[in-house]
Amino acid sequence: MPLKYRILIIVGLCLASIYLLFPRDVTTRYRGADGVLRVDTSRHVPLRRGLDLQGGMYLALEVDDSKQAIAPADKKEAINRALKTVRSRIDGFGVSEPVVQTQGDDRIVVQLPGIQDRERAERLMQDQAFLQFKITDKTQALERALPKLDQVIKQRGLSRKVDTTSKGQAATKGLQGLLTQADTGLRGKLSPATPAKKGDTSKKVVAAKKDTAKSDTANADSLKLQAGGAFSSLLQQGDTPGGFFVASENVPTLDAYLADSVVHAALPPGKEFLPGTDSQNLGGKVYKAYYLVDAKPIITGDYLKDARPNQQALEGTVVEFTLSNEGGRRFRNETGKHIGDYMAIILDDRVQGRPPVIQSAISTRGQITMGGKSLADAQDLALVLRAGALPVPLRVAEVRSIGPSLGQDSINKGLRASLIAVALVVIIMLVYYRFSGFLAVAALALYVLYTLAALAGFDAVLTLPGIAGFVLSIGIAVDANVLIFERIREELARGKTVRTAIDEGFRHAMPAIVDSNVSTILTAAVLYQYGTGPVKGFAVTLIAGIAASLFTSIFVVRTFYIIWLNRSRGAQALSI
Amino acid sequence: MLRILHDTNFDFIKHWKTAAIGTVAFIALGLVLLVVHAARHNGNALNQSIEFTGGTVVQLQFQQDAPTDVVRSAVDAAGFSGSEVTTFGDVRNYLIKVPPVEGMAAAANADSVGAHIVNVLKQRVPGNPARVEQAQSVGPRVGAELKTKAITAILLSFLVTLIYLAIRFEWRFGVAATIATAHDILTTMAFLAMMRLEISLTVVAAILTVIGYSLNDTIIIFDRVRENLKKQRKETLREVLNRSINETLPRSVLTHATVFAATLSLLVFAGEVIRPFSWIMAFGVFTGTFSSIYVAGAILLYIEHRWPRTPAPHEKGTARALAEERRRERPAPVGTR
Repeated sequence: MPLKYRILIIVGLCLASIYLLFPRDVTTRYRGADGVLRVDTSRHVPLRRGLDLQGGMYLALEVDDSKQAIAPADKKEAINRALKTVRSRIDGFGVSEPVVQTQGDDRIVVQLPGIQDRERAERLMQDQAFLQFKITDKTQALERALPKLDQVIKQRGLSRKVDTTSKGQAATKGLQGLLTQADTGLRGKLSPATPAKKGDTSKKVVAAKKDTAKSDTANADSLKLQAGGAFSSLLQQGDTPGGFFVASENVPTLDAYLADSVVHAALPPGKEFLPGTDSQNLGGKVYKAYYLVDAKPIITGDYLKDARPNQQALEGTVVEFTLSNEGGRRFRNETGKHIGDYMAIILDDRVQGRPPVIQSAISTRGQITMGGKSLADAQDLALVLRAGALPVPLRVAEVRSIGPSLGQDSINKGLRASLIAVALVVIIMLVYYRFSGFLAVAALALYVLYTLAALAGFDAVLTLPGIAGFVLSIGIAVDANVLIFERIREELARGKTVRTAIDEGFRHAMPAIVDSNVSTILTAAVLYQYGTGPVKGFAVTLIAGIAASLFTSIFVVRTFYIIWLNRSRGAQALSI
Repeated sequence: MLRILHDTNFDFIKHWKTAAIGTVAFIALGLVLLVVHAARHNGNALNQSIEFTGGTVVQLQFQQDAPTDVVRSAVDAAGFSGSEVTTFGDVRNYLIKVPPVEGMAAAANADSVGAHIVNVLKQRVPGNPARVEQAQSVGPRVGAELKTKAITAILLSFLVTLIYLAIRFEWRFGVAATIATAHDILTTMAFLAMMRLEISLTVVAAILTVIGYSLNDTIIIFDRVRENLKKQRKETLREVLNRSINETLPRSVLTHATVFAATLSLLVFAGEVIRPFSWIMAFGVFTGTFSSIYVAGAILLYIEHRWPRTPAPHEKGTARALAEERRRERPAPVGTR
């Protein structure tokens, strides 16, 4: 390789590393739920200091009693199971050396280094991530139950003032007209496009061509909705079976009705009435989607094997998931029975996106459309799905900042010792190898730069033991140089010229360097793949260090030698 | 040119019996100590840190701001060294994580630990009384599941190393290197038991580093052996091993020197937090070097003796060396000549 390119690569990597090591603002653009392009800017600080050096954020999580009653005796057990999920969610968050532990019998305490995105962290902990697939109702069960529901609400005296303008509009124009009027915009937005993936087009989940015949009947049926009742006046027929729209200002009223146990009992048996994430803009008003679905799921997230975020041209952000083999088998059976039905994907009791039509039996692969959320949201959802559902709902009971766990004295001592250690390594190399040692030390400086940049890229956190380990890695990193230098010496001793000795030295040292480092990288890769938490962090540090060490000791030092040979043409002696 | 131990011709392999006895004795002593520790400390053979055991968390509130170092030294003075002391929100509130105190049940522990710390603080900072806001037991940061997973990961990584070396060298090299690595883990555990060092996540990282370091060392010697076997010399494997160790000696000395210098500096200057880590690394430099020569080398010789290779036609030099070796060595067990 010509010298020019060698220097170009080295300098280019230096610039990239320096860029990675400077704090900067990261801006992401994404299309919001309302279709408006948004810009999200956050400060990215590379190599944050860890809990021991700087402290961070303290979150206490408790079982959320408001959502479901749980006996105190079961709480302890539930917390222990939840701990596992919370831990794997945080591990998936990055290599950041967090603390996750139970406290007392009913709390999980999480400590995260630095305070970066508090809201995101809280959301990540609290999402229960209970995934279910349910068939939407096509028997008009809710429509038939409406008189009863209206009556119950009247009896219970729950009736509230309802925004009538929407109803009025709908009554005069008729819902059918409203839908037709909004047809172009609405249909375009609503119809779930078929996710076409190479080689897997027909079986790939979800979604579907528009089933016009079906939706026409649905629309016709929608006219049967009675006006007047407290409950029924809130609802407008959606365009999928079991789907409804509720004007956003009426959502609190509806939720209040649904929270009432008697009203709840009056809902059609064996069915559930759940809110969706979809909202539509119809005739200048925002409508929230609600769905009536079978209470019994055809499958739950227990069978989920993997989940990955993705960006797609048509659906925007999606989370693609894979089910286990057993889950795939069940899913195929169940979806086979429900061809032509609509399937709601439900996460924490909210229907995600628009229920798609089941066209053919689906087996192990599917996707959840995120409806205009940012990629970061998709990443978080994929992460919580992978980590599994929380066995109990949790809520954040307390958030505080905590100080560093090490005293300033300990930190100073550690840093001073690290500097002395590096100085000793440098001195040994200079004394023993003179000029060549100097080249090795220069390469070591690049090693430090590259490794730190790689760690910043992995979003690693600096802790005092981490720094000590890094210092030690500097001592180990010279090994490749030592191997090469000793080989060059051997070649020189055999009477070879300086140029040949350098060439041969590098060539002969190569197998030993490659074998020893590749075996370590393989070890680290296994630790990364199968280890968790701190073991994973160690593996990342190790891999970054070895890669940088290989590059600097072989490529960079070689380049230095080439420069030196070019400059001192006819040099007869090498200081080594 | 400054040269250390250049062109040496030590017979390293000669001492393999003494070395074997020494290391087995060392490991045995470590195991015995582990049993003794287990008996003396309620079945806790290893001195595990609060990260593994959990303990008690005490939340204190002072009437006025309290300096962190004073609180920290008070907690140490109360006999709870190894605790984590952090400010909690502001400098009036503190969170103190105390490792379990032997002979106390966790539940009874929580309140008495808090009370004890408050008492010591009362003497140290008379004008600023502290109040225990909360005292609770706290679970381990590294649970049983994490431990199992980590151990599985380490065992799997052994397997991968074995396969890689079998492909790059030969299976016998892979086996020898893996056994040498296992030996290092055993001696390090024995060392831990002797020093009664506290096992924290940092110490686990140090042990993993030692494993990598030792493996590195073994492979570099094996690489020389591979190279020397290809040369057409009438040497037995034993002689090839000795030659290879001697040839790589300058490199070994220098690399061990740099690593040891860095370790020593951390050991002497870095203070309590890094100390267990440094001890393990310092020991690791020795055990890694030792096992590369006396464990990996000796095992390699033993395997060669038990299952001699059928030389491939293209490895003429190797073939001759091996045939020679077999002829000479077959009647006598390894190393007795």
